[in-house]
Amino acid sequence: MESLSYDIVILGSGIAGFTAALHAARSKAKPRIAVISKMHAMRSHSVSAEGGISGVLYPKIKKDTEDLHAYDTIKGSDYLADQDAVEILVKNAPSEIKFFEHIGVPWNRDEKGTVQQRPFGGMSIPRTAFAADKTGFFMMRALYDQALAVENIEIFHEHLATAIVLDKGRFAALPTIDIATGEQRIFRSRACIIATGGFSRVFGFTTTAYSSTGDGTALAYRAGIPLKDMEFVQFHPTALIPSGILITEAARGEGGYLFNAKGERFMERYAKNKMELAPRDIISKAIISEIEKGRGFPDKEYGYSYVHLDLRHLDRRVIDEKLPMIKEITIKMLGIDPGDEPIPVRPAAHFTMGGIHTDIKGRILSQEGRPFGGLWAAGECGCVSVHGANRLGSNSLSQCSVWGRITGEAAADYASKEGRPAESEEIVRKIDEEERRISGILESDGSNNPYEIKKMLNKTMDSRMYVYRRVPEMRKAIAEISRLKKEFNDIYLEDRGRRFNTNLRDVLEIGNLLELAAAVAESAVRRKESRGAHSMVEYPKRDDKHWLKHTLISANEGKIRISYLPVTLGGWKPEERKY
Amino acid sequence: MRASRYILFMYAAMILTPAALFGYALTGMLGYTGMQLVFQVLLVPFFLAFGILSYIEVYAHRGASVPRSFYKITTTGRRKEQTSRVGNEVMLNIKRFNHDAKHFEESSHSVKVSRFTTVLDALLDIKERQDGTLAMRYSCRMGICGSCAMVVNGKPVLACETSAAKSAVDNRIEVGPMQAHPMLRDLVTDFDDFFGKHSSLDPHLYRKDEKEQWRAKELYKQTHEEVNRFLPYSYCIMCGLCMDACPVVNSNPEFVGPQALSQAYRYHKDSRDQMKGRLTAIDKITGAWGCEFAGACSEVCPKGVDPASAIQLLKAEVFEDSIKTVGKNDA
Repeated sequence: MESLSYDIVILGSGIAGFTAALHAARSKAKPRIAVISKMHAMRSHSVSAEGGISGVLYPKIKKDTEDLHAYDTIKGSDYLADQDAVEILVKNAPSEIKFFEHIGVPWNRDEKGTVQQRPFGGMSIPRTAFAADKTGFFMMRALYDQALAVENIEIFHEHLATAIVLDKGRFAALPTIDIATGEQRIFRSRACIIATGGFSRVFGFTTTAYSSTGDGTALAYRAGIPLKDMEFVQFHPTALIPSGILITEAARGEGGYLFNAKGERFMERYAKNKMELAPRDIISKAIISEIEKGRGFPDKEYGYSYVHLDLRHLDRRVIDEKLPMIKEITIKMLGIDPGDEPIPVRPAAHFTMGGIHTDIKGRILSQEGRPFGGLWAAGECGCVSVHGANRLGSNSLSQCSVWGRITGEAAADYASKEGRPAESEEIVRKIDEEERRISGILESDGSNNPYEIKKMLNKTMDSRMYVYRRVPEMRKAIAEISRLKKEFNDIYLEDRGRRFNTNLRDVLEIGNLLELAAAVAESAVRRKESRGAHSMVEYPKRDDKHWLKHTLISANEGKIRISYLPVTLGGWKPEERKY
Repeated sequence: MRASRYILFMYAAMILTPAALFGYALTGMLGYTGMQLVFQVLLVPFFLAFGILSYIEVYAHRGASVPRSFYKITTTGRRKEQTSRVGNEVMLNIKRFNHDAKHFEESSHSVKVSRFTTVLDALLDIKERQDGTLAMRYSCRMGICGSCAMVVNGKPVLACETSAAKSAVDNRIEVGPMQAHPMLRDLVTDFDDFFGKHSSLDPHLYRKDEKEQWRAKELYKQTHEEVNRFLPYSYCIMCGLCMDACPVVNSNPEFVGPQALSQAYRYHKDSRDQMKGRLTAIDKITGAWGCEFAGACSEVCPKGVDPASAIQLLKAEVFEDSIKTVGKNDA
């Protein structure tokens, strides 16, 4: 097995991963960096981010302040966000927007040539900078192109990480499979940043790419690292049916309305002041309430009941200049021009607030709160706890770039001071074990089709862990997931070759999804309150007395361990959330 | 020597050779034998220069105009569109590359499609239920990640944006890998060369003051006019379809191709960019001058980038730059 040595290994090549790589690469010691992606690096799911990136750019002109951004974020999080983390976000976001401007992102500008900002859900002032409705795509291209010019960054396309090897509380090695050849390749380094994105693909109806399987999160979980706030999965209110493709919140930011089958702008009933620009959890609940009360459109043609997102009253120029991709997608997928017809939408799994347990600097922590040596998480895969129970739209791109930079610089600093992890029998044993495990999977000759298991998992999550959650349903979900895990031990693999074996890749991903789905369900069933994206039918109220705390879950040899961590409060006291 | 200078000389020689010939004939008729001798002496190097330079030019484009039947777009497809109904069974014929045997094989699969089923959906259905060994790339399924470029009914497209029902001709869909890239397996092609070409032309925004760029304090200003100069070329998702359609790329693998050139143009025209020398790298027979303006790249681009126009504009930029910098160090 080939072993490669670097100073820093970055697992994941989205906005967080590449930002971390670039900033680490520019540090004084010029560390050698490997960026590892399971796809072509520039195709990470970050490209699908549409609406924009939040940050206070014009405090004087717009009378906006970082405090107000922080308040919006914390209120949006239903007070579960750690307020010190939020302060880091709002303080650093503006300079990150400027950085992306300086590496080539074509932000939309006004007549004078200055960067425009659009309104977004839960934000009290328009503070979302955007490049049409392809913001993530443009940011990714700028980062990738910039990384090509940096000598000490090497990009490894199509390398799937299969484990994270830790030794004595420190990162030691990252075994991967080179998908093109099927060879296993070990990356050894002083420091590692995990930036593998979210795991919304545990759901079937999701806005995310097929690749959003939370591999890094699952690998960390399997290595004994705790995950935080896994019960909080954001459902984006406006996903196109039947595919689940995202229709950006910017469609409402630019003035779009939501209508039920009776032709009512139903948000009046749920968020009188903010209407369609309430936070996502509130709108998703509103849509499902309307559908459950029989006021949605029936599911005759599409297989899903839905509501209408109406852009017909908007100036066509607004659609063409600010929402071109939405128009392209609806025309190509459904034959609907949003200027002429309303768009059929319903909530879909979109963002996972939970993830790898980190402190506010992105360092990965143990359940007792001790940092692991040389190990960071950035972006959606890490739970730095800046979004709490519900993320505000456009805060994710700021999160990715802010913590990309923070972790990149921290890892570079660490790598310049610390030596290489000492060789140990433990590391060798774990690497050998991983090699055998992969060879074992390649020879799987059981009786279950892994894709059927994935479909059943998706069905369980879609039906039992959706916008509204009920205790008995969640118990069933836990039982079903554990049954699927057992069935997964007896699968068959059709593709036994090494070269570009996507069958093997899929099986490894499905294994990751099963772990994560179980963590979501186990965390959710215990939280006996409704907060942000986690809405319990039995416990419809937020309960600050008992539940103003984060859930931590870790697994050790099949046994889960759950503990709780208090929320870091600051200047903003929890209050009733009205929009 | 920069390719633009070769081309400049070639055109100069092209004009001067007949001029010298005319002068030779005229002076001969008028009996100015001294002058005639001068023209005769001039004619030889002019003619030779024209011959050699145009040979280089033609050699660079060898075989370029040979059309490839693989890309003949089936015209019957459109007429049949309306006849496909919801819930139809269609047959997918997949042309797959067998790496061990180094040849193409075909497999046929029957799939149920609705009016919402894309070709990618159909392929995934096959992979999950009929043949787990089928290899292909895909990810976002919304036409922005650039993974699923392939050839459907002879046309290079993104599978996730292509309706299966509408593609079916007599209830059959032909699917195959792109052909201009080296093959890996089944529908998967090797992108290493493609990425190498992209990065060879400095596709990034360069600022002299790097410190300021990386610790940004102020935003730059750009007028709508300045933005519109590069914006149309910035939508490239690096899917590889333009390279697959380009007849020059298909016959001369040295040509950097429409993707890399259009992206070089995109950064070159960005008013924020301060890089010098990008045009020198492009000023080669295998650079901008390799383009024969077939226009196939722009025709197949799923994001409407129009690399063909970018390259022609680039040629003009290169020429201007080349003339301006005559006598300066070209290295």
